Amino acid sequence: MRNFWQLYKRNRSAVAGLIILVVVVVVAAIAPILFPQDPFSLAGLAMSPPGENGFLLGSDSLGRDVAAGIAHGAKTSLLIGLLATIVAVGFGTIMGGLAGYFGGKIDDLLMRTTEMFQTIPSFVFAILLVAILKPSINSIVIAIAVVSWPAVARLVRGEFLSLKNREFVQACHTLGMSDIRIMLGEILPNCLSPIIVIGSLMVATAILIESGLAFLGLGDPNIMSWGFQVGAGRTLLRSAWWVVTFPGIAILITVLAINLVGEGLNDALNPRLRERQ
Amino acid sequence: MRIRNWMGIALGIVFVALAGLSAHAQKAGGTLVMLVQPEPPSLASYQSTSGPIGLMAPKVYDGLLDYDKDLKAVPSLAESWTVSDDGKTVTFNLRKGVKWHDGKPFTSADVQFTIMNVLKKIHPRGPNSFKEVMEIETPDESTAIFKLANPAPYMMRSFGSYESPIVPKHLLDGQDLKSASIANKPVGTGPFKFVEWKKGQYIRLDKNEDYWKEGLPYLDRIVGRFIPDASTRTAAMEKGEVHYGAYGAIPNVDVVRLRELDSIGVTTDGYAMINPVSLIEFNTTKPPFDSPAIRQAISLTLDRQFLIDNIWFGYGKPATSALSSSYAATGLYAEGMPNYPGKPDLEAAKKVLDDAGIKPDANGVRAKATLDLIPYGEDWRRAGEYMKQALGDIGIQLDLRYEDVPTWLKRVYANYDFSMNVNYFYQLPDPVLGVHRHYGTDQIRQGTHFVNSSRYSNPKLDALLESGAKEPDAGKRGAMYKEIQEILANDMPVVNLHEMKFLTVFNSKLKGHDASGFGAYGSFDQTWFDE
Repeated sequence: MRNFWQLYKRNRSAVAGLIILVVVVVVAAIAPILFPQDPFSLAGLAMSPPGENGFLLGSDSLGRDVAAGIAHGAKTSLLIGLLATIVAVGFGTIMGGLAGYFGGKIDDLLMRTTEMFQTIPSFVFAILLVAILKPSINSIVIAIAVVSWPAVARLVRGEFLSLKNREFVQACHTLGMSDIRIMLGEILPNCLSPIIVIGSLMVATAILIESGLAFLGLGDPNIMSWGFQVGAGRTLLRSAWWVVTFPGIAILITVLAINLVGEGLNDALNPRLRERQ
Repeated sequence: MRIRNWMGIALGIVFVALAGLSAHAQKAGGTLVMLVQPEPPSLASYQSTSGPIGLMAPKVYDGLLDYDKDLKAVPSLAESWTVSDDGKTVTFNLRKGVKWHDGKPFTSADVQFTIMNVLKKIHPRGPNSFKEVMEIETPDESTAIFKLANPAPYMMRSFGSYESPIVPKHLLDGQDLKSASIANKPVGTGPFKFVEWKKGQYIRLDKNEDYWKEGLPYLDRIVGRFIPDASTRTAAMEKGEVHYGAYGAIPNVDVVRLRELDSIGVTTDGYAMINPVSLIEFNTTKPPFDSPAIRQAISLTLDRQFLIDNIWFGYGKPATSALSSSYAATGLYAEGMPNYPGKPDLEAAKKVLDDAGIKPDANGVRAKATLDLIPYGEDWRRAGEYMKQALGDIGIQLDLRYEDVPTWLKRVYANYDFSMNVNYFYQLPDPVLGVHRHYGTDQIRQGTHFVNSSRYSNPKLDALLESGAKEPDAGKRGAMYKEIQEILANDMPVVNLHEMKFLTVFNSKLKGHDASGFGAYGSFDQTWFDE
């Protein structure tokens, strides 16, 4: 672990990203303490500029506190990002692992299915899914997971293909280990690093997709999120710039931080890059 | 005694003559570019009342009558008209020498065909407007006599070219009305001729040189442009590339900024014939909204002025009854209805709920429901978000649901799978045309959009609606509608929210676009550029 941290901290920007990410997580965690009221509550005068009428970052067209929205929205964005990533990585790993390990007909079947998903532009597909399932936090997580898993599947399949012919795997076969035990106990731990890296980057993409959906009006209407704030405020851009600007900055910083962390993880976990300085 | 209209015509002629002599002499020429949003599905105004069709088709078609700014009927294709004493015979004397754009003469046969074979059959509101018309006699080419089963005073308000365009018999007779080529290439008698429709770009209409109104129209050409993006529309208006945008083509938030410019004018006139009112429909057959008390409480709680100020930027007027206050002109609107407070009255609302036994639980929640929102844009979502907060204060906990248009229509009007729904209805110039469909038992028509989805049924009200439709005497009719409004304010099957004010934004050089009571749905024959 100490060794990992040594490797990770060589990348300064990754450390900065990690600090920002920790701040965002803390804000999300203590949002109910910072802003005990419902972020949708009509807290005061509509369209107050930042710093006026007790609004740190201003208020929107109905008098809702932009700062409260950002704090509560952080939770939504991180939650959706994480959940969607876990589902996508889990499903993608199973599909890719089975395809890579068994090969042949199973590989063909699973990979043609994966390609079918990959040929549809992912954001359009996500819009379609959410529109059909009707916008709610579950349908958004499902939609993001559905458009994200093929990349994981292909990556894991590649790793499994290259690992399954190595000596240590062949040794396991000779020892009479079951397929499941080989897959889970021997091959999977050896391809965890790239999965972790792609997973961390996927969180960032998921947050962007969620914001994009909410911006287009396909967010869960009962839950505060950054994309919702930007979407609701975009008509006010020329009369109340703060309504869209601050949530926009929040999205930008968070996605950037997650990407930096992903990059740092890649540097630290990828053996070929370990000597990079 | 017959009601004669010659006097009105004489006055009209004097007015036109005076206007001609005034200092602001109208100038002929110029091309008007107007925003048409969204692109219309067709130009078949005899088949669909869709908004963008209404912007273009009335420039091509004429109606039997037109309506001035005070909604008084004025002659159009009918030079004069008389209603018999029993109200069952309406005679129109048609204008002679009028020609269709293809050169064929316009006759009484066209009127007969239009009403009986087209509007009564395939128009969304025509079957209702002309319900009482049994037959139309055409003793000669310039006389059309409507024979009614019962008096139908409201019918006289539905002869405008937007609501009831007169279409050419010789181009439609014997054809499948729903697929006739005239749907996309209209041929009318109006001031402008259809020239071309570039899909996705514009519709072009040119001046009808043989128009029956001497010296009109002033404009050489009207171009209806389709610009899907709202901010691009605003920019085009600001730069003077387009001269006219109605029905919210320019969003209110931008209007607030544009109206400060000298080159731009803004008006809320021209929507009186449409009369839109926003409202909440309830599923009155299921808890929690089967109780009138909870519906009254909602009406008492909502701050209508807040909605108008913060979502529609001050354009609109709080609803005070089931009928819009614009019916005051015809004596049908009643003031001082209960449960429509000037300011929200939370205490009264809570008392109504307590008295009805709808008590809060340990968490202060009295009832839970899902609020469906009309998917026509962001404004309605903001309204829903406001309602969720406001009704939470009296213990009604709402979840918001926002779906696409077909799913939403199906849910509310076909499957009745909803509990409360935000919507808006056009009340039109007479309650029979626009309001009855919302409350009558005979209007519980599963699968038909924008009718009685609340499934409210009250025999006493039905009887009043029935007699209100047939009563020719204005005073008696007013009394009936007062009673109707009292019943509706107490039972509250629908909570009316606000009388919507659509905005028309125009280039200040453009004059005379508001000559008709239909505003943007008018013919624009008297529109001109002052430059």
